[in-house]
Amino acid sequence: MAAVAALALLPTPAFAHASDRGHVLLLPTGYYIAGGALAVAISFLVLALLPPAALDRFWRRRLSLLAFGDGMRTIISLTSFAGFALLIAAGLFGSRDPLSNPLPLAIWTLLWAGFTLLQGVLGDLWSLLNPWYGPWRVAVHVFGLRGDGTQPSRLPKWLGVWPAVILFSAFAWFELIDPAPDDPSRLALAAGAYWLASFVAMLFFGYGDWSRRGEFLTVFFSMVARFAPFERREGRLSLCWPGAKLLAAEPLPVSGMAFLLLTLSSVSFDGLSKTFVWLGLFGVNPLEFPGRSALIGIGSFGLVLTFVLLAAVFLLAVLLGQRLAGSECPFRQAAGLLVWSIVPIALAYHVAHYLTVLLVGGQYALVALSDPFGLGWNLFGTADSMVEAGVVAGAESAWWLWNLQAGVIIAGHVLAVLVAHGLAWRLHPRPSRATLSQLPLTLLMIAYTIFGLWLLATPTAG
Amino acid sequence: MADKNGFFDLSKTTLSRRTALKGMAAGAGLALAPGFVRYSQAQSSAPIKIGFQLHRTGIGAAYGRWYDRTSAAAVKAINDAGGINGRKVELVIEDDGTDPARGAEVVNKFATQHKTDIVFGTLFSHVVIGSAPAAGENKIPYFVVSEGHHVASTKLNRYVFQPGITDVKSQIQSMAPWIAANAGKKVTQIFPDFAFGYDHRDYLPPALKAQGADVIAQIAIPPTESSFTKYFPQIPAETEVIYHVMVGPAVLTFVKELGEFYGSQRPQLFGFMDSLEAVDINSPGLEFLDGSHFWEGSPRYAQPDDSAAQKAYRAAVGIDDNGAAAGDPKDVSTASHMFGCWETLYVVKKAMEDAGYKGSEDRAKLVEATEALKEFAEGPEHPQGPKTFNGKIHQCFGIQNISKVEGGKLKVVHKTKIEDGLYEPEGDYTKQAL
Repeated sequence: MAAVAALALLPTPAFAHASDRGHVLLLPTGYYIAGGALAVAISFLVLALLPPAALDRFWRRRLSLLAFGDGMRTIISLTSFAGFALLIAAGLFGSRDPLSNPLPLAIWTLLWAGFTLLQGVLGDLWSLLNPWYGPWRVAVHVFGLRGDGTQPSRLPKWLGVWPAVILFSAFAWFELIDPAPDDPSRLALAAGAYWLASFVAMLFFGYGDWSRRGEFLTVFFSMVARFAPFERREGRLSLCWPGAKLLAAEPLPVSGMAFLLLTLSSVSFDGLSKTFVWLGLFGVNPLEFPGRSALIGIGSFGLVLTFVLLAAVFLLAVLLGQRLAGSECPFRQAAGLLVWSIVPIALAYHVAHYLTVLLVGGQYALVALSDPFGLGWNLFGTADSMVEAGVVAGAESAWWLWNLQAGVIIAGHVLAVLVAHGLAWRLHPRPSRATLSQLPLTLLMIAYTIFGLWLLATPTAG
Repeated sequence: MADKNGFFDLSKTTLSRRTALKGMAAGAGLALAPGFVRYSQAQSSAPIKIGFQLHRTGIGAAYGRWYDRTSAAAVKAINDAGGINGRKVELVIEDDGTDPARGAEVVNKFATQHKTDIVFGTLFSHVVIGSAPAAGENKIPYFVVSEGHHVASTKLNRYVFQPGITDVKSQIQSMAPWIAANAGKKVTQIFPDFAFGYDHRDYLPPALKAQGADVIAQIAIPPTESSFTKYFPQIPAETEVIYHVMVGPAVLTFVKELGEFYGSQRPQLFGFMDSLEAVDINSPGLEFLDGSHFWEGSPRYAQPDDSAAQKAYRAAVGIDDNGAAAGDPKDVSTASHMFGCWETLYVVKKAMEDAGYKGSEDRAKLVEATEALKEFAEGPEHPQGPKTFNGKIHQCFGIQNISKVEGGKLKVVHKTKIEDGLYEPEGDYTKQAL
């Protein structure tokens, strides 16, 4: 005991790295924040002046590209499943180093940080690539199980997408709060168990039902794909404006709203949790960051708090807007529709937030995938590639990364204002009312622009 | 020294960390396979497994990247020259997340799951302090490259060693003679208001006093501060030297604002490279450091009088003349600390050879053999310079560098003597039971 007490008094030198955020601190980020807020405000004003019907017509334009069928879906999904199974094996039996083992890099960097971006740009690739569809088809065929849509759903209607909300919360907690989500075997067990549980649920509830309402990745990726400038309808692929597909969306149920807001609040909290301001609130010294284990309680609290705050502020903004416009449209329907305008913001936060992870982790992933079991293989000829960590280091990189991130955040919010405007017009066919109803939500988006840019500009731990 | 030539040949081959790690994953896989029979420890062909506790993620990740590269290079060098006691060396990496609780978990994993011979690695003091009890409980030797005074304080346990890098108390003390003789006698200290800063706050004043100089003011800056101008008026006008050890993302802001406060008329500046490890000294905002001096553990920039051993070490690790990754000039190394990984692995080699180490049953012998070590000569195994080792406090003492920022580089202007950094031992680990 005496030794422990003495240790507590012992000076404990620590070396907080003067990280690349240090270079950002020297940039005139205040001007960017003011400029970003102004850009969002101006886009609202410009939209208010444009005739909504013409805007709507313009936005609904499609350019038909080519026929694009589902023929390869089972094969692609089975291949994807085989790859996933190999990655799980690598997680269990490969290197223990999270930057040499391909599993953590594939899940966190390639899938979560990278694939989300692809999905937002190219549309719903996940419906082809997900590792459940193929195995499910095989199981249905082999065991003569019921296919989709042949019987009434076994999932009660009132359950909405709450299963996906709960599972996404668990995922976000694992990513952001768990002490070691990068640990290869820990992640292999978590991801393997999740695949299996989802597969069983799909066999029981039906593939379509469970992937739309329970499997959180499919729910997340299909929401993100709504933003993409590609649309696949009746076997044809067309080009459309980014975010245009959101205009045709149906109002989300309460659980769907919760899901969408949670995707934004969790990535926001990831940024917030590392700031000096947040850590300072709890008396945590960011220069002597005590590690994730010591912050489980604070982190869990923060994850819930950001969700509750965002949901409250969003609902309040919609409510106020409805009041201002004197709308007779049910509140739940208005909120369920307008929440779609969060998608561009969530995607922008995601891209800005994971940009550096993608640039460096992506390189590590290429190396690790060539030698998944650490046996000296070189499957793709990339096993000996040099990882250039310097790509995100130094003042110059900090400058262009900051500009890119700020640009993405501002563009995301401007698009969100545009989407909200289009959706409001669906709720309030009279333009003046539609504009009035958007005032509080626009203020929220301006505030969130400021918050998003501040997260990228303020001092952070690590 | 029969392997000396072989060692130098290394510099001509490209480093592949995969080579150093090869076989490790297979072992991990086999260990989980049913019916697997482990290598008998007595079997001489089985590799020596070194559990490498690494800051792969978390706040220490930049250090971790370079600790990894340096250690992989050292293991490659050792293996190319025949390994240890004729056996190959294998690094088994586990990420500690720069997290003390996770650090202890990882040490337990090395001892019970991976069954490594020793544990080696980590830098951050809180991780070392958090992990040390696990090493003691498992009776597994734990060689750290932390630079903290915690090992030498003898408040950890008999299984913890720091034989590859001088501790911070000694580093600070050895700066005093040069500062008093060359920079000035009236010193104002600016440091972050937490443990890291307190080492400098507590160890510098008595050391300076002994040299006839004085600390005339101590300014502690709250760790969450990101603007510093309001603290500068506290610097006494008669200050001849500002001794600064700020760390964290706001360091560049600190230097920039200090420059704006003083303009061209400034006192001498003396800092510790800990502030700017892995940061380009030519970054915008750091212009004010031109002409100032820094402590460096091992020089970041290649020096005209570098020894052949130093050159070979730099080539093997893969750093260019500016101390950045060869081929990736923006990836600046943590030169002042990472050499400790290289040297520690060679101390492990020496101690295992002295102990005739065969397997985990010889861990106690390994502890005693390490404690019996007295000095390490400068050379390929100790490229940073000569060192003495005090087996009672498990700490080595080496020379330190004082470098001047000149023309956008750090030029070594003084090397301290080992004696400058010696102090009275505070205890004796060898009296603890094994």
